[in-house]
Amino acid sequence: MPVPTRLICLLLAMLASPLALTQDVDPRTYDYPLSNPFEATLVGTPPALRPSLPAERDIRQADYQIRLRPEREFALPENFWPVKKMRYRLAQQRGEAPLIFIIAGTGAHYASSTPEYLKKLFYGAGFHVVQLSSPTSYDFISAASRFATPGLSREDADDLYRAMQAVRAQHPRLQISEYHLTGYSLGGLHAAFVSELDETRRSFNFKRVLLLNPPVNLYTSVSNLDKLVQTRVEGIDSSTTFYEVILGKLTRYFQEKGYVDINDALLYDFQKSREQLSDEQMAMLIGAVFRFSAADIAFTSDLINRRGLITPINEPIREGTSLSPFFREALQCDFECYLTEQLMPVWQARHGGQSLQQLIDEVSLYALEDYLQSSDKLAVMHNADDLILGSGDLGFLRRTLGPRLTLYPFGGHCGNLNYHVNSAAILEFFRG
Amino acid sequence: MVKLPTVALCLLLGTGLAQAQHTPDEDGFKQPLQHLQFNPALDQHEFERSSLRALRVHDPLEPWNRRVYHFNYRFDEWVFLPIVEGYRYVTPSLVQSGVSNFFGNLGDVPNLLNSLLQFKGKRSLQTSARLLLNTTLGIAGLWDPATRMGLPKQKEDFGQTLGFYGVPAGPYLMLPLLGPSNLRDTGGLVMDFSLASQVNWLNVAEASRQYPAITLLEVVDQRATVNFRYGQLNSPFEYEKLRYFYHESRQLLIAE
Repeated sequence: MPVPTRLICLLLAMLASPLALTQDVDPRTYDYPLSNPFEATLVGTPPALRPSLPAERDIRQADYQIRLRPEREFALPENFWPVKKMRYRLAQQRGEAPLIFIIAGTGAHYASSTPEYLKKLFYGAGFHVVQLSSPTSYDFISAASRFATPGLSREDADDLYRAMQAVRAQHPRLQISEYHLTGYSLGGLHAAFVSELDETRRSFNFKRVLLLNPPVNLYTSVSNLDKLVQTRVEGIDSSTTFYEVILGKLTRYFQEKGYVDINDALLYDFQKSREQLSDEQMAMLIGAVFRFSAADIAFTSDLINRRGLITPINEPIREGTSLSPFFREALQCDFECYLTEQLMPVWQARHGGQSLQQLIDEVSLYALEDYLQSSDKLAVMHNADDLILGSGDLGFLRRTLGPRLTLYPFGGHCGNLNYHVNSAAILEFFRG
Repeated sequence: MVKLPTVALCLLLGTGLAQAQHTPDEDGFKQPLQHLQFNPALDQHEFERSSLRALRVHDPLEPWNRRVYHFNYRFDEWVFLPIVEGYRYVTPSLVQSGVSNFFGNLGDVPNLLNSLLQFKGKRSLQTSARLLLNTTLGIAGLWDPATRMGLPKQKEDFGQTLGFYGVPAGPYLMLPLLGPSNLRDTGGLVMDFSLASQVNWLNVAEASRQYPAITLLEVVDQRATVNFRYGQLNSPFEYEKLRYFYHESRQLLIAE
């Protein structure tokens, strides 16, 4: 190459330098065994490749509750009694330690499997751990959300922030050296907004913040998830529904095996068997799980705000009342439907918002571009084959985060979080 | 001017993108949804159809069942789980597993009889071997050497036996304290219970009549070993979901 060309080449490489600096994990050295993103999302990591974690017995932990929204005692029907106070889980070390908050993903409970896994990981590394439900979960919407209409990231972060402050106030004798924050999936996006809020409110002064597989453009993510139930699945006909197809496969699998054994490795072994699901079937299953979350959100938000879209206003609901008619109604509503019927009107009325594009920019990571760029405490771990991303999303993360983005070649959506290489990297980030 | 391919080459060198089989785009994104076969108009209602059909479980006593569900939920939170936690706190793990094994060994008696009733020859032999090994080598069932020798516990209850003979599930029932069931399985439960007291294996059934603490221990052990928590599905529709899971998992156990 002639010298000028080489010079230009160098200049161009420098221009592209934020890209170059991103920590791309080499697929040749990354031995996560599931290169199929759908399998990874559903199955997670085979038990043998997970990190060693402290036993349940060795963790000093308990569930606590706080009354954050006293008015909900009266606003909610009596069969909502378990979710009138916000619940959370705290695992305490003996003596002083750093404390980390974990924010759960879409619709997830603080005690669901991923927060439980992360808790064990951090507890084993010497952290106090607080597990919080997602602002989109049934319990959080009912007990902790001021407007009970999740989806506006700044409002959701504000609710989370108040919850975190209340949690700390409930344990005045807990000795905390410093605060950290993490979240996976939608909880990752929330973590970023909470961290930004903390820069002005200064209650915690988070030392490090880690976003695990967060959505970048929230609308892309929910559209992808909505679309997953539109796959063309073989084996379905007028007499056999999708669930029957899956259950039929599971039955034949157990029959062949000779006995029913439900354990951690079940899905992994199942996908290795003759009955394994196709990509379309897995996509539909993942999509179905998210549709149930969407139904819960649509129903709960509508009921608390008395919008009358799903539950008729002033419908008497007692402990014996069947919720199935409302469930049937709510199942028809996907994320897009929740967005147009409930979220958009609220946003337009309260925040004077206009177009969908404006809303997307406000609730996605785009709204934090400058903050992400300038804040060294914050990092992202993501997968190149994550189902909730769209084109351009990784480009945005590369540009804004540079070396603070670690990109794994496989793992689907959160499938490799409990792979020992990832768990080591997660702990390393908080130790550093 | 630099030629276009050179620029492209420079950019590639600068970005250091890894080449993978899924043809990633310029950001390294692999577009996992791209190769999926979608219904072209994106207007299929298979999710809705499947889910609505799954809601159709025969449940004529629903108002009563729902109240029992809430009663169980409260009882679990206020009474049952605190006792279980206390039990776990004061009991060394070795003793806990001894207790579980001991009652598990007793449970193999109905497991054996129900396997026989369903003509499951191999399973009957395996469960007999388990009973013999665990009662002798395992010292009255306190240890479970059979599982380590490759003979895992295989549950068969009378509800499954009835299902095997084609008895329909009947209406769904939420039993106080015991949780989800249906008419057939409730009958099975009664049958298994009276069977256990008839056989009186290791004399436990008779002893429990004299010392109710044994029954209490059995109940606490059972609650401690079952992972289910009310509220863990974290959905306003937990009742419906639980009902569906119960219904389908019983179908699966009967078919298998």
